[in-house]
Amino acid sequence: MNLKRIAILLGKDLWHGPKSFFFIWVIVVPIILSLVVSLIFGTMFTEKPKLGIADEGSSQLVAMTEQLTSVITKEYDTVSEIKQAVDSGAVDAGIVIPADFDSSVMQGEATELTAYVWGESLAKDRTILGATIATLVRELAGQEVPVEIESITLGDEVSIPWNDRLLPFIVLMAVFFGGLFLPATSIINEKEKRTLEALIITPTSIGDVFMAKGLLGFILSLFVGILILILNQAFGAQPLLLILLLALGAIMASETGLICGALLKDITTLFAVWKTGGILLFGPVIIYMFPQIPQWIGRFFPTYYIIQPIVQISQRGGSWPDIATNVFILVGLDLVLIAVVMYTLRKVKQYAT
Amino acid sequence: MAGEAIVAEELTYWYGKLVAVDHISFNVAEGEILGFLGPNGAGKTTTVKMLTGQLKPKAGKATLLGMDVAQDVEKVQAEMGVCFEETNLYEQMSAIENLRLFARLFDIQPFDGYALLKRVGLAGREKKRVETYSKGMKQRLMVARSMVNRARVLFLDEPTAGLDPTSSEAIRNIILEERERGATIFLTTHDMMEADKLSDRVAFMDQGKIVTFDTPHNLKQQYGKRALKAKVSTGSGELEDREVILDTPETPNAIHELFSQEKVVTIHSEEATLEDIFISITGRGLQG
Repeated sequence: MNLKRIAILLGKDLWHGPKSFFFIWVIVVPIILSLVVSLIFGTMFTEKPKLGIADEGSSQLVAMTEQLTSVITKEYDTVSEIKQAVDSGAVDAGIVIPADFDSSVMQGEATELTAYVWGESLAKDRTILGATIATLVRELAGQEVPVEIESITLGDEVSIPWNDRLLPFIVLMAVFFGGLFLPATSIINEKEKRTLEALIITPTSIGDVFMAKGLLGFILSLFVGILILILNQAFGAQPLLLILLLALGAIMASETGLICGALLKDITTLFAVWKTGGILLFGPVIIYMFPQIPQWIGRFFPTYYIIQPIVQISQRGGSWPDIATNVFILVGLDLVLIAVVMYTLRKVKQYAT
Repeated sequence: MAGEAIVAEELTYWYGKLVAVDHISFNVAEGEILGFLGPNGAGKTTTVKMLTGQLKPKAGKATLLGMDVAQDVEKVQAEMGVCFEETNLYEQMSAIENLRLFARLFDIQPFDGYALLKRVGLAGREKKRVETYSKGMKQRLMVARSMVNRARVLFLDEPTAGLDPTSSEAIRNIILEERERGATIFLTTHDMMEADKLSDRVAFMDQGKIVTFDTPHNLKQQYGKRALKAKVSTGSGELEDREVILDTPETPNAIHELFSQEKVVTIHSEEATLEDIFISITGRGLQG
């Protein structure tokens, strides 16, 4: 392979790609979908997380909370009022501060705090509120104190907000639309219009052409994937890990695109394969959308190993140890696909000639 | 004395049970134009694909400028240009963008695409998208593209097929200019007149084999028959064709009879064409 020629071909596709319908389509469709979902479910212009407080004494915690700009605070007089507010979703979480709370934490005594959590609140809001309460208690005590927070979920516990359920679908669509369709359609076009034949009678090899197409898919897939997470404010606490996952997903998508491009003879066949084989790609996100389906079924689909770690990090506050096994499986799948791509290179040569 | 630009030794290729090219051997000298002729399915395209590194021979060997095509594909391809029969340009790009892309892939620096386009008669249309071009303009651009690397060996596959006489003549002139520059030209064509006009030698291919390989002049000498073609007026006023074969013992008598017994309206001499020769060798025409 020749890096200079790969760069020339990649530059050609990036420069002239926007003249193509597919190029626009694979970028615009996931973004529009994401915007529509965000607008429908109201998270595009999301409000700050809302914290309800019922103070049974006269805790300084209330005043400290009210000073925060990242959280909206509402005070309630009784426990039953705060439970009602949480249950109806008026606040994302509510805490009940016992009468002797301040003196207990200042003396370093073990203290209990009851937190009511709305079952349909966004995972990121819960994370923000949890971290905020812990920080404020530490500030109040001036030291690390053993505060036990008893968390009680109110409302529909099993319900995952639809915005959260749809996020994996949108992310996977962003990654696979760009990563799969761009290399596939680009190679098929080069075969149909016989420009591939013109390229490979120059010193350019089929490997150079494939690498350029794969990189095209990878770059745009990663770009759109990151854009979607930004639009959905779903980067969580591990943005670099999420970018790594998107990159591994983009590799899988572009490899699949190269294989499709190598083996399929025209765009119509590509769409037919997309329609029938799409279930293999989107199986895990469909299962995730409907929690009543046994979630272990998702493990049979290759894209599960992209989506599960992304969900784990962006929605459940997971970190590397939680996703390591699945990431290694994903790397393994990418390597297997590389071998398949190498094998299919021969097929392309037959088509090209 | 010029060296050999192309050497094919026992070149063979088969698709399944069909032998497309059957142990063919020939040489093309540097600076020579070889007309490569034959009907559809004769094995011409497969031969060209083996010579250009697109197909690996099943048996035999091809060398181009002394390099083994199968072993040194990249080096060989850097020295050659190919003009395909079917247009395969990037239609959404302009003519100049098409040429610059290929010049960069060949690592040609500096590259004057405008001069090349002017040479093929496309000056003034350099920045127009290729999809707006006529067939003739596209074909000229194809020829220009095959020349971006100042190739030492040019493979031209039906470069004038379906073109108007002006475009065809322009391309023929370019071919002759390239020969003047020293390029070797491997010209695949159905057009016998074109092959006759341009080629130093011609190869006839049929059923995977080269059935004859010589200069057009020698072939005409060897296989052709000169004749007089006449149109005579019959008693009813209709015209009929008459032919008198020249260079035979009966020729004088035949000519005498023609003029004494018939009313000759027109008469002209005719040389054997390459098509006639092909038919006499293979028993079938080139379109078959």
